Amino acid sequence: MNRRNFSPYVPRPATLIRKERLSALVTLFEFAPDNGRPLAHKPGQFIQVSVFGVGEAPFSISSFPNPDTHHFEIAVRKIGSVTNALHVLNEGDKVAIRGPYGSFFPIQEFVGKDTIFVAGGLGYIPLRSLLRYQLKHRNEFGRIILLVGTRNPSERIFVDRLAELSARPDVDVYETVDVPDEHWTGHVGLVTTLLPKLTFDPDNTYVAMVGPPVMYKFVIAGCKDLGIHPSRIYVSLERKMKCGLGKCGHCQINGLNACISGPVFRYTDIESLQEAL
Amino acid sequence: MTAYTVYLEQLPGLLDAWSRDYAVHVPVQTEPGFYDFAPWGKEVEIAWDYDVAYNSPKRFLLPSQEDLIAYDARSCTAEPVFEAPKQLLFGVHPYDVRAIAQLDQLLESGAPDQSYRRRREQTLIFALDPIRVAETAFWSTMGAGQADLGFDLYWTKIGPAAFLVVVGSAKGEELLKASGPIPQASVAERDAARRTAEAVRLVADRRGLRFPWQDIPALLEKSWNSRLWRERSEMCLACGSCNVVCPTCYCFDIREEMDLNMKTGRRFRTWDACMLPSFALIAGGHNFRAKALERYRHRYYRKGKYIYDLVGELGCVGCGRCVRACTAGIANPMEVYNALWEEFK
Repeated sequence: MNRRNFSPYVPRPATLIRKERLSALVTLFEFAPDNGRPLAHKPGQFIQVSVFGVGEAPFSISSFPNPDTHHFEIAVRKIGSVTNALHVLNEGDKVAIRGPYGSFFPIQEFVGKDTIFVAGGLGYIPLRSLLRYQLKHRNEFGRIILLVGTRNPSERIFVDRLAELSARPDVDVYETVDVPDEHWTGHVGLVTTLLPKLTFDPDNTYVAMVGPPVMYKFVIAGCKDLGIHPSRIYVSLERKMKCGLGKCGHCQINGLNACISGPVFRYTDIESLQEAL
Repeated sequence: MTAYTVYLEQLPGLLDAWSRDYAVHVPVQTEPGFYDFAPWGKEVEIAWDYDVAYNSPKRFLLPSQEDLIAYDARSCTAEPVFEAPKQLLFGVHPYDVRAIAQLDQLLESGAPDQSYRRRREQTLIFALDPIRVAETAFWSTMGAGQADLGFDLYWTKIGPAAFLVVVGSAKGEELLKASGPIPQASVAERDAARRTAEAVRLVADRRGLRFPWQDIPALLEKSWNSRLWRERSEMCLACGSCNVVCPTCYCFDIREEMDLNMKTGRRFRTWDACMLPSFALIAGGHNFRAKALERYRHRYYRKGKYIYDLVGELGCVGCGRCVRACTAGIANPMEVYNALWEEFK
């Protein structure tokens, strides 16, 4: 690349390899960068995906960084103009990407420790990257406890994979829905109501949580009640990210840019920020 | 710093010489009592005594709309687009010089903004000491009454037909001698310039903050729940005028347009404003600053604390443009900070 002509806003092409419907509105997309190089992302980071003519939007990378393949996955809810455009793509179609951007879950800190994953709705998507990494390197990590909350049964995603995980002896999966339907036999209530069910050693446990903005306060309070030190709680705070470079101003949380200092934050780094949670 | 003396009669020749290589912009009167920067031409009368330019000079470095990339939707490839005209901003007041220096710092930090950087490299800034103070200005008490860096030349009027010109860069000095040798300034002329600037500063100091500007960040630490935010923001029309005229506001939106051929297009950035209700709105309808209070307060924190935490200077230089632009009469940082000071000191 001619450095003289470098611009961080120039995305590179990637080809859609596979689409998988996860729910009525959510689809998993697997892409391969055309340059054949891996994204080299870390769990919790995001990329900007362009559908030229429509726009660009930020998405958490849902796959784990795999040295064997340069493919990566994002899971997308059909909710705005770019996400609608993504949903009508066919395998073989191209998008353009830039990134990865932002902070990430500090994997090395989690080594040898137990991890509670708290996923609210689509929050499972960025957490999946960290989860997949831990599963791949299973013996480096302690217990894996997975709490998954969804609004209603029809919006559940990765249902088959969650069933597979439930069947594993080395993973504890707890699922809940806010509003059940007639077929739902599982737990009912917000994801916070799962916390009292858990038995774990709070001094040896990390928490990674991602969910809708309303979720964090309650889950964090619940974790603190159970004795988990605030410095071992990690959250991913998604905001409107336009540039990904800490310049455009849209993702500010008080004085921080969520696209650079975040989206993944150690809770103690943001607990004093009024706009964080 | 080297200083020269330049006479008014030399200026047409100098401006003419400069305008061969640069687009030269100078302060002019647009309407009685209103001034702005405009392209220099032989017929243009420079408003030496302008108090404040209605629009800030940031637009020369961060245009309200600027292409970033040109794309081809078929191959999903894109090329960067850069535009960086050679330009000379003549007559920039110190508070605006400081505002630009702050933009330099903020846009250069982290991932340097390539578009801004290129424009900045092609831009010369000739500062000018003000001789009149706008009624809405409070730059002196905000510590922005003088600039020590960020200019190529610094002009001070020292009489009806003479200027003291301090050199800020080699390029500035070179341009000063563009149409022949210029005499070095005498000690008396340097003194005259200092006295002029001081006299203006005395006038400027009569209005402004009633406490040291350095205390603003600490003051805001205590003010988050003040009733002031609600009282004033209730009148906010969410028009974004205060952001648009502000010399240090640089937030932008990124948009794109497809060409009529439906194959190629361009992605560009446009000014955005944190006072607009949609600023922190995301797809799906969640708004991280849904209330007028939250947006209004954010602006004062951004100017008074967040920018300070990043670069050690306030994000407000006290130019007072927002005071004039706000039709609701609530955008005055000086009033807000003074009121908070009364409440929390």
